[in-house]
Amino acid sequence: MIEVRELTKRYGGTAAVDGLSFQVRPGTVTGFLGPNGAGKSTTMRILLGLAAATSGEALVNGGRYAELRRPMLEVGALLDASAVHGGRRAFDHLGWLARSNGIGRRRVAEVLERVGLAGAARRRVGGFSLGMRQRLGIAAALLGDPGVLLFDEPVNGLDPDGVRWIRELMRGLAAEGRTVLVSSHLMSEMELTADRLVIVGRGRLIADTSVRELAERFGRGVLVRSPRPAELTGVLSAAGGSVEDDAGGALTVAGLDVADIGERAAAHGIPLYEVRPRSASLEEAYMELTAGSAEFEAAIS
Amino acid sequence: MRDAIAAEWWKLCSVRSTRWVLAIVAAFVVLLLALAFQEAQIFDGLAPGRREKLALRPLQEMSPWVTGLCMAVTGVLTATSEYRSGTIRSSLVAVPRRSRLPAAKAVVVTAVSLAAGEAATLGTFLGSRLVIGDRPFVDQRAPLPHDLPGFGVEAVSVPVFALLGLALGLLLRSAAAAITAVVLLWHVLPLLVFHLPAPWNERLGSVMLGGLGPRAAGHSVENSIYGGALPPWGAAALMLAYALLPLVVAVSVFARRDA
Repeated sequence: MIEVRELTKRYGGTAAVDGLSFQVRPGTVTGFLGPNGAGKSTTMRILLGLAAATSGEALVNGGRYAELRRPMLEVGALLDASAVHGGRRAFDHLGWLARSNGIGRRRVAEVLERVGLAGAARRRVGGFSLGMRQRLGIAAALLGDPGVLLFDEPVNGLDPDGVRWIRELMRGLAAEGRTVLVSSHLMSEMELTADRLVIVGRGRLIADTSVRELAERFGRGVLVRSPRPAELTGVLSAAGGSVEDDAGGALTVAGLDVADIGERAAAHGIPLYEVRPRSASLEEAYMELTAGSAEFEAAIS
Repeated sequence: MRDAIAAEWWKLCSVRSTRWVLAIVAAFVVLLLALAFQEAQIFDGLAPGRREKLALRPLQEMSPWVTGLCMAVTGVLTATSEYRSGTIRSSLVAVPRRSRLPAAKAVVVTAVSLAAGEAATLGTFLGSRLVIGDRPFVDQRAPLPHDLPGFGVEAVSVPVFALLGLALGLLLRSAAAAITAVVLLWHVLPLLVFHLPAPWNERLGSVMLGGLGPRAAGHSVENSIYGGALPPWGAAALMLAYALLPLVVAVSVFARRDA
């Protein structure tokens, strides 16, 4: 369980996080979405006690992270996978982390096995590919078998296999009843991974919703294809729908649902080739929601 | 705290820079012993009257001095390598109490540098005695048990340098900046102070860190750039201040800084 309440973090005059509140519950993957510079990483760093909040609080399992005695047993985090000492061997990197929280060597071997790095345990991290470093970072997060997991942009720079592996891992962790918060700036990725979405822009909460709710909210009428579009337009307009002509001979109907449209067309003997509710892609929904909140917007000429 | 110390120990043992620095210390001891051998040859070639002027002690005292610099670099790196690589965030996520992490580092750095300092200093002293054999060098006539404790005390300056390095590393977060600062304090500043007009060269020269080890051990610092105004206990107290005050400042800054 993660709770962020009225969290604000200012750097000089600018607020990186501005009165942000949300909760992350166990058993789900929650996507923490926003454009670059929206305050996602700052929020995670405050959650982990790395940065101090200007005001408000960020709690893990009801308390502050810095007060946990053996924090890795409760919270696992992947912040920046490239932040490892290149001269250290993978086993040693996980070894000192484990030792700092009283976790044994056997567990180190276990997590290396789980992320598929058992064969590279004795290699220096400096020679690891980005994908291997990401796996090592995830192994570190899993060391203490924690109930709460935070991943900051875990799929950045990964190949499709790596992306799928992380997606399945996170869904698996949530299915075991853990609380999983994953930040990303890619809606397309979160659409496949997350159940819930916390969307932020410029440090503020834009939406706290489920993936399905978001898709419904951005529904865009019903697409209808028929060989007699003019006649159908008349019938549907008379029934109270508003009909627009799409390019390519299709109609977009608002105000009537799929069943309504089908019944009225049948009553007038008008054949239908296609009837399908149209929703904006989540990507479009996300772009619309965060429009104007990107930190650096390109000037469009 | 025990877990944090054990983790820091693991960290220090699992990077190559630690082994390199210790290898340099060992190589320097070997070099000093070779020079002692050379001096023994010179001793044999001198007329009896001139033998009284050939001292071996300056050579023996170079060991803690150079080991101090090497271990100061180790102290610096234990802090700055974490900032360079970004590991500092992992460290603080693992050990979130802010004063605990630098405290654990200080314990490990002290232990390693004290061991290295004693080994190098006593090794050089005993080794050079072995090398000269029964040649009656003017400053080597006292029996071993008489001279040994002094060198043991002098080696304590090594962890002082190491802790100073750690503090500077935590404060400056850059290896280049912190090592430069260490070298300034180690040798450049004492050289500058030596060229001040009297009595300031003697007064300020007495509080330079490099001269405090020999002073605390009761050794003479005549014919050196350091001053001898402090009594041994005063030099020892000042060494302790050099070790602790910068560290206290560094930890309090570290505790308040976002990582």
